[in-house]
Amino acid sequence: MDIKFRGLKILVTGGAGFLGRHLLDNLIKKRGVSPEDIFVPRSQDFDLRRREDCEKVCRHKDLVIHLAAKVGGIGYNQEKPGELFYDNIVMGTQMLEAAYRAGVKKIVILATICSYPKFTPLPFSENDLWSGYPEETNAPYGLAKRAFITGAQAYRNQHTFNVICLLPVNLYGPGDNFDPQRSHVVPALIRKVAEAKKLCQNYIEVWGTGRATREFLYIEDAAEGILLAAEKYNNPDPVNLGSGKEISIKDLTETICRLMDFKGEIRWDTSKPDGQPRRFLDISRAKKEFGFQARTDFETGLKKTIDWYLTNDF
Amino acid sequence: MDLKNKKILVTGGAGFLGGHIVKKLLERGVPKENIFTPRSFELDLRKRADCQKAVNDRDVVIHAAALTGNVELHKSRSAEIFYNNLIMGVELIEAARQAGVQKFITIGSATEYPDNIRLPFREDDLWMGPLEPIHAPYTVAKKMLLVNAQAYRKQYGFNAVHILLTNMYGPSEHEDGGPIPALIKRIGEARKTGETTVRIWGTGRATRDFLYVGDAVEGICLVTEKYDKSEPINLGSGFEISIKELAEIIARLMNFDGKLDFDPTKPEGQPRRVLDTARAEKELNFKAITDFEEGLKQTIKWHGY
Repeated sequence: MDIKFRGLKILVTGGAGFLGRHLLDNLIKKRGVSPEDIFVPRSQDFDLRRREDCEKVCRHKDLVIHLAAKVGGIGYNQEKPGELFYDNIVMGTQMLEAAYRAGVKKIVILATICSYPKFTPLPFSENDLWSGYPEETNAPYGLAKRAFITGAQAYRNQHTFNVICLLPVNLYGPGDNFDPQRSHVVPALIRKVAEAKKLCQNYIEVWGTGRATREFLYIEDAAEGILLAAEKYNNPDPVNLGSGKEISIKDLTETICRLMDFKGEIRWDTSKPDGQPRRFLDISRAKKEFGFQARTDFETGLKKTIDWYLTNDF
Repeated sequence: MDLKNKKILVTGGAGFLGGHIVKKLLERGVPKENIFTPRSFELDLRKRADCQKAVNDRDVVIHAAALTGNVELHKSRSAEIFYNNLIMGVELIEAARQAGVQKFITIGSATEYPDNIRLPFREDDLWMGPLEPIHAPYTVAKKMLLVNAQAYRKQYGFNAVHILLTNMYGPSEHEDGGPIPALIKRIGEARKTGETTVRIWGTGRATRDFLYVGDAVEGICLVTEKYDKSEPINLGSGFEISIKELAEIIARLMNFDGKLDFDPTKPEGQPRRVLDTARAEKELNFKAITDFEEGLKQTIKWHGY
């Protein structure tokens, strides 16, 4: 049965983050949810690695959308595997338990494309999640989130608790994190190109060989996919959220250079890791189960992201 | 690492495995006052503050506490099994790291292996396929402690290791612990009441690798003393036996000549299981030494039959 959001008390963890802000926007503007019915815990007030804090934020809520996560690019993943593992696994597990105890009707948990094995057959099907070990650089993060899929099924079986798990690909769009320590590939490249242009530098340096491929989902599409699943999807099987389009880092870099009118050289630093060799999702389950399809054309999305960065570059 | 002058926390110290670990440590010459075995009513290891108390001023942690049991328990309490095992392990490791513990042993299980990998199970194949669904909440929670140990070793240089322990058996194991005490109990009761048939779950064709608890704790002590690597390490007997053969041996040792009736409509878990013991042999010179029938006799005796 479909869930109607209006009138429900909704908790959105990570609601002040990149994805969270777009999701809130969608809830309020597109779905007509009153802002008073949405609660977004801030990290200075609540530490979601603590069970007591999870219990506090779940109280009197009907629906929980758990977006809070600790994330970073390859460098951050290599440097902080312990923190990435601990923060993510404890937050997710405590939220699951607290939401169940509080009598929440449904919880949406996000796993990640990083949960997939390094050499998953392409396109990645949800059924192949357990067929191998993830790419080493993001394994602790990806595995912590892979565990939620099992956790979700365990709570569903013992308590008939309605937990669903979604597996989004790499997200991008306005409002992304452009901090060089923490950013993912799209904002990192945009920033590099912008800085090279500012310094009149005629080249940029990019990690890896450029041959790795990725799939990107525009942030507004991701928010829509999550909310459609929250409304319509009630099964234990995890669901991929992607655009279904694969692009190499080389093509991505060239596209960004072109859109930003940068004509300098691209230097590949092959001493740096590529990360997972290829990423590209089978998106048929999301379409079949809750009618989700990404709408935003990649270049359009990139242009909006570049414009946002350039107008917010401080 | 010489354990004699170390302060050692053994979680689950009142349980089957934990109790035998404590005994083995005492045999190794660790003074009794250096071994700490908090009971669950004293410290709730699902709570961070209690984990911090438990590891305070300890040099070594052997984490043997777990919520586990037979297939039925794993089915009916799947959420608790997931939550308790995961949170206990993760919070205890974090507390130990912060407290400056020198070594942390996470005890995992052979059920962490996927169903359809080559035999015997090699540590390098641990991630090569899906897990048996009934046990997944338990096995995934345990597997996460391996991931945790590896991530902490990498970021913090924290010396945490992960053991993949096969099915154990031996004196003092509770009767719902595993197939051996369950079989002993059923056959013992049938003999007492004059029943001529004992019903056993599954087809009887599933196989397991049973390690006598005395051998298991020797292996755990050797890991504590000598093994400081990121990769998990199997502790098993390397000896594969079907549940049917096992039931027949127990029936013979208990002088039961009735019928063993297998119920194939009931679940039996992983189809085959036997561990590759090469890594433990190479790294620790460990080999199971207890003869299987001898170990079974000790166990039957302990159960009072």
